Amino acid sequence: MIEVDGVSKVYRAVEREPGLSGALRSLWNRKTRDVAAVTDLHFSVAAGEAVGLLGPNGAGKTTTLKMLTGLLHPTTGRLRVAGHRPQDREVAFLGSIALVMGQKQQLIADLPATDTFLLHRALYDLNRTTWRATVDELVEALGIGEEVSRPVRTLSLGQRMRCELAVALLHRPTVLFLDEPTVGLDVEVTVALRAFLARYRARTGATLVLTSHDMGDVGALVERILLVDRGRLRFDGPIDGFRARFGSGRRLVVRGADLALNDLGFVLEGAQRWVATVPVAEANGLLARVLQRHPAADLTVHDPPLDEVLAAAFGEGRRT
Amino acid sequence: MLVVGALARLSVSTALAYRADVAFDLGSGVLKALGRVAPLFAIFGAAEVVGGWTFDGAMAVMGLFLVVMGIQGAFVEPNLGAAVEGIRSGTLDLWLMLPVDAQLLVSARRVAPGALVDLPVGVAMVAMSAVAMGSGVGDVLAATWLLACGTAALYGVWWLAICTSFVFVRVDNLRFLIWSIADGGRWPSDVFHPAARVLLTWVVPILVATSWPAAALAGDWTLGTLGAGGVVAVLFLGGSRWVWLRSLASYTSAGG
Repeated sequence: MIEVDGVSKVYRAVEREPGLSGALRSLWNRKTRDVAAVTDLHFSVAAGEAVGLLGPNGAGKTTTLKMLTGLLHPTTGRLRVAGHRPQDREVAFLGSIALVMGQKQQLIADLPATDTFLLHRALYDLNRTTWRATVDELVEALGIGEEVSRPVRTLSLGQRMRCELAVALLHRPTVLFLDEPTVGLDVEVTVALRAFLARYRARTGATLVLTSHDMGDVGALVERILLVDRGRLRFDGPIDGFRARFGSGRRLVVRGADLALNDLGFVLEGAQRWVATVPVAEANGLLARVLQRHPAADLTVHDPPLDEVLAAAFGEGRRT
Repeated sequence: MLVVGALARLSVSTALAYRADVAFDLGSGVLKALGRVAPLFAIFGAAEVVGGWTFDGAMAVMGLFLVVMGIQGAFVEPNLGAAVEGIRSGTLDLWLMLPVDAQLLVSARRVAPGALVDLPVGVAMVAMSAVAMGSGVGDVLAATWLLACGTAALYGVWWLAICTSFVFVRVDNLRFLIWSIADGGRWPSDVFHPAARVLLTWVVPILVATSWPAAALAGDWTLGTLGAGGVVAVLFLGGSRWVWLRSLASYTSAGG
C-alpha cells in the first residue's frame, strides 16, 4: 500500500548572524544552507497494516507524513501510496486517503459540522444514500449526535476532534494518516478516540500511519514502529521487537512467602515481592527456573512502558 | 458545478452566521458606494468634458469600477486573506488534501455580502450610461467581453499576490498596494499619464475592466481591442496558474 524507496527531503534554510548588524548584513548578503529533513528513507507498509512513525521533535516524521500525503515533494527518491505518486495529487489518490491533524482544523468554525459534512459530500462526489449512511454510522460511533448541529466554535476540543474524525472518514479512506490525533485531549476523550479508531480499522481494514508523542496512542493503535531520528530510519519492526531492541528488558515480579530468588538475579522489593529485569529473550527461561523452584509462586511479567523504551531509543540516538 | 454550488452555499452560510455583521457590512457598503460616486458629480459639475470623456462615459467607467470592486470585494478579497493566512499557518495543508482543484477551493471559500452592494449600484450606473450614449447590442457585448477579460486578469493579479505568501511572510503591504493602484480604475484612462496607463493595463489591469468596456459602450472598440483584452486575461490567468503550481511544488508547509 505504501512504498518509500530512497526518499530524501532537503530544505534551504536562511542563516543570519544575531543582532542588528547581522540583520542589516543579511539584507544584501543572505547566507543559506541545505538542511536534510529526511535522508534516504526505505520502508513499505502493507494494506491493512498500522504503523507508528515515531521520533523526537525535528526527526523528520511530519515531513515524511506530508510527503506521503502529497503535501511536500521529495527532493529525491520514489514514493507510492495506494498505487499513486502522492505529489501528483490525483483525484483518485486524494479520494482514497485522509489526513487528521490534531493541531489543525478542517471544520468551518462558524457553522455546524453538518455543513462541512455536506461540503465534503460534494467535494468527494459521494452518493447521497451512502453518504447519509456513513454520516449516521460515524455520528453514532463517535457519540456526536447533538454536537454536529452546533457551530463548531462552541464545541470543546474533544467534541471538535470527534467531529474532525467524522469529516475525515466520510469518504471511507483506505489509508488514514493521523498526525498527533489526541494532542491536548483529556484522558476520557483520548481513550474513546483510540477505541473508535481501533474499531474503525478492524471493520474497514484501512491502512493506518500514525505520528504521535503519546505512547498510549502507539500502543493502542499500531503493531509496527518506524523510528526516525535525524531524518534517518533507525528502527523498523514490531512493538515487541522495539521493546527488545531499546527497552531495559522485561520486568518479572514474583510474590510469595519463603522464596529464595536472589541467586537468580531477583531483588527483594518490599515484603515478599521479588523483582528482576532481564532481556526479553531471557525472560521465558528465567520464568521456567522460578516455577521449577517454586511451582505455586504468584508470577507477573511486565513489558517496559513504551514511553521508557522510546526515551531510551532517543537517548541512544543522541549518543551515537 | 456541484462543488461550486456547495462552496457558494457554504460561503453564504458562513457570511450570514453573524447577523449584526451582515447588517453593518451592507450599511457601510451603501455608504462606500455613494462615496465612490460623489467625486464624479463634483468634477463634472465644473466641466462638461474631462480628458475627452463626457459625463456619461465617465459614469460608465465609475459604474464598471463599482462592478469590479463588488466582485473583487465580495469574492476575491475575503479568500485572499484566508489563503494567505492558510499558507502562513499551515491550514492550507487540509485544503490541499481535498480531491478538488485547490485554486478553486481557496478562491471560492468565502464571500463578503457587504461588498456586493457595489454590484447593483454599478450595474445601474452602467445601464443608465449605455442608454444615454445610445449603445448598440454589439457595443454591450464587446463591453461585457472586456469586463470579463479585465475581471479575470485582476483575479490573476490577486492570485499572484497570494502566491507571494509562499515566499514572503507579510504580504499585506502588497495587497494594499494593489488595491491602491486598482483604485485608479474609477477614472477614465485618458486622464492618466501614458506610463500610468501602462501600469494600469499591464501590471494591475484595471483599465481593461473599466475604461476599455466604457469606451466600447460608446462604440469605440475594434476586434483588436477585444483580442488585446483576451490576451491580457490569458496572460494573467495563465501566469498566475503557472506560478501557483510552481509554488505548490516548492511548498514547505508550516509547523511540524
